[in-house]
Amino acid sequence: MSDRTSTINSNEVGVFTALQSVVGRYRVPIGALLLVFSVRPVVSMDLLLGYGAVANSILIWMLFAASFNILLGYTGLLSFGHAMFLGIGAYVTAIGLARFDSPFVLSALVALLVAGVVAYLIARLIAQKGEIYFAMLTLAFGTTAHFVANYDPGGLTGGTTGIAGGAVPAWIETERGLKYVSLGGFQFDWYFFVAAAVFVGLLCIWQLVRSPFGRTLVAIRENRDLARAMGINTYRYKVWAFTLSGVVAAYAGAILEVNEQGATLSLLTVQTSGDVILMTVLGGANYFFGPLAGAFVWLFAEDFLTDFETLVLPLEQFPLIRVDLSGVLSYWQFFLGLLFVVAVVVAPREGIWGLFRSVVKKAVDRIKSERDNA
Amino acid sequence: MNEIPLPGSSSRSLSLAEAAIWSVLLLVTVLSAVTRPGLFVDQVLGGLVYGLILVLIALGLSIVLGLLGIVNFAHGALFMLGAYFSYQFMAVWGVSFWIALIAAPLVVGLVGVVIERGVLRYLYDEDPLNGLLATFGLSLMIGEATRAIWGGAPKSVAAPQILSKGMDLGITTVARIRLFTVLVAVIVIAAVYLLIERTDFGLSVRAGVLDREMAEFLGVNMNVRFISMFVLGATIAGLGGVLRGTAVGMDVAMDEQFIILAFVVVVVGGIGSLFGSVVAGLLIGGTAYLTPLYLSTLASITNIEAINVPGIGGLVPYLVMIVVLLVRPRGLFGQEGFLE
Repeated sequence: MSDRTSTINSNEVGVFTALQSVVGRYRVPIGALLLVFSVRPVVSMDLLLGYGAVANSILIWMLFAASFNILLGYTGLLSFGHAMFLGIGAYVTAIGLARFDSPFVLSALVALLVAGVVAYLIARLIAQKGEIYFAMLTLAFGTTAHFVANYDPGGLTGGTTGIAGGAVPAWIETERGLKYVSLGGFQFDWYFFVAAAVFVGLLCIWQLVRSPFGRTLVAIRENRDLARAMGINTYRYKVWAFTLSGVVAAYAGAILEVNEQGATLSLLTVQTSGDVILMTVLGGANYFFGPLAGAFVWLFAEDFLTDFETLVLPLEQFPLIRVDLSGVLSYWQFFLGLLFVVAVVVAPREGIWGLFRSVVKKAVDRIKSERDNA
Repeated sequence: MNEIPLPGSSSRSLSLAEAAIWSVLLLVTVLSAVTRPGLFVDQVLGGLVYGLILVLIALGLSIVLGLLGIVNFAHGALFMLGAYFSYQFMAVWGVSFWIALIAAPLVVGLVGVVIERGVLRYLYDEDPLNGLLATFGLSLMIGEATRAIWGGAPKSVAAPQILSKGMDLGITTVARIRLFTVLVAVIVIAAVYLLIERTDFGLSVRAGVLDREMAEFLGVNMNVRFISMFVLGATIAGLGGVLRGTAVGMDVAMDEQFIILAFVVVVVGGIGSLFGSVVAGLLIGGTAYLTPLYLSTLASITNIEAINVPGIGGLVPYLVMIVVLLVRPRGLFGQEGFLE
């Protein structure tokens, strides 16, 4: 929460202070802007992955995890069926593109609408249930969505194969595996489109959670009974939190559909719902950037550790220690699971981002105190 | 409408809609049994075996949830470990099935001790979400470890001679291992019931469930009881794993598949009620196996092929849960207000 609160003591008037106050006030959007455009350059570094193809899906998953955090982090609702909305976003968009030849924007809007209606109806039914029951019921609805897509009603969803052909909008051009967006004779890399779209999504979430609505959600999370005693209709707020979270997840799903050139059944599995929980908690549900950090670590580890074979210290050219890790690190989920369990036991809401923040804060404090002493 | 009906005293008559539903169900049952008796018996037995396996897992879940307030997502991983340990014992070390049947669950119980002492004891009296999340991570770890040790490909073990043969029932034949599963499961369920309801140990455990602090004031060492009940739950889950692994084989996906269904069973039966878990397990197993048969019977009678939905059996447990929870939020036999 402290991402959003910034106490500005503006007794001194000056350009620097004004700048500082603007940065302090808008540090989340500024940080998000820096983040979305730096993911690919960072992962493409030779020391890390060496290629940037995974950056697109990292960004989209970041948005998905952030949408999930509206529920887990801000409202305190644990949903085991959030993949449903990612899947609805991807499937409805793909159905619109492939089966009805409708333009992408229209298909995506319909997808958001469908996800919103489905989320609203489900939430109306289950929002007031206890935590465990809520988790189980979302799981049941998520499994139902998977079943429906697998059942292939009316030949729309394509069963186990999903929707593969003809599900790419006309303004996407593919050249040697790389996607480009060409709009009105202007061509640019698909990555920048994803980055901009994810940035817009993050901005929406940020506006949502810092609004009175978002503050009320936090109040419900912290103390439901107190919130109710103050006259907040907790049921209605939970319903709308669930609905909006589902809509943003569907937005991520619509982008993911273009990125993966179709919708696959794996999007709707319990595994996907579980992954987003793991990412969010690992990153730190308490913070706006927590789920983003979690999604980054998770997906980066997936690509990085699976290919990681020998650990050479300190450098490739001067091998002092050479450890063969190829057999161990392909089971990277074990180690992330361990990290996850430790994170939950030690500080369940802090995660990697919380750890990072406290380390940075300590370093800043030390520098400050040294400067004051000098 | 102003009268509040006393529980048990209300002998309400069936409404017309309920009577219609029950008579249709009865009719379809009779029709299915008459038109395809062999398949009907097969499905009933299949549902029974499946349901009892679910009950074996759900027992431990229910105990741990009632006693410790922890939703143990890793319980399915313990079930899977039971199956893989039996593989290790029988296929790798060449031990006989009967020894593996006893030893594998005990080793699973040891793993349970490690989990309880290593992780869960830090999570008592915390937000139930934390227990759910931590055990979710544990199940991920155990799943990966299983994949690393035994590989991702499905495995199977050979049942001993006496159990591998089929048994002729006249209209169909059943594998004896399935009947053996039913037998063992019934014995275990009865033993757990007697332990909890009829012994002093069970009495003190139940006291701990009701009011842990008070029970500790009265000199009951709750820690010992927590560990032993957790280990008991783990062992039973491991036993279920051995039986399932021997009858059907094992793979790394069985963890997730069964833990979710076991949760469904616990929730439908009512959290904290052992009797409810048993009833719900049989209900879920039965409906999952009989619904496809009923639908295909209905489809063949009415000539509407659309009724016969393929793969509906996998969805039925969730539909049952949604309906039960919406109509009766505490489950069939649950206490009111518990974790609601």
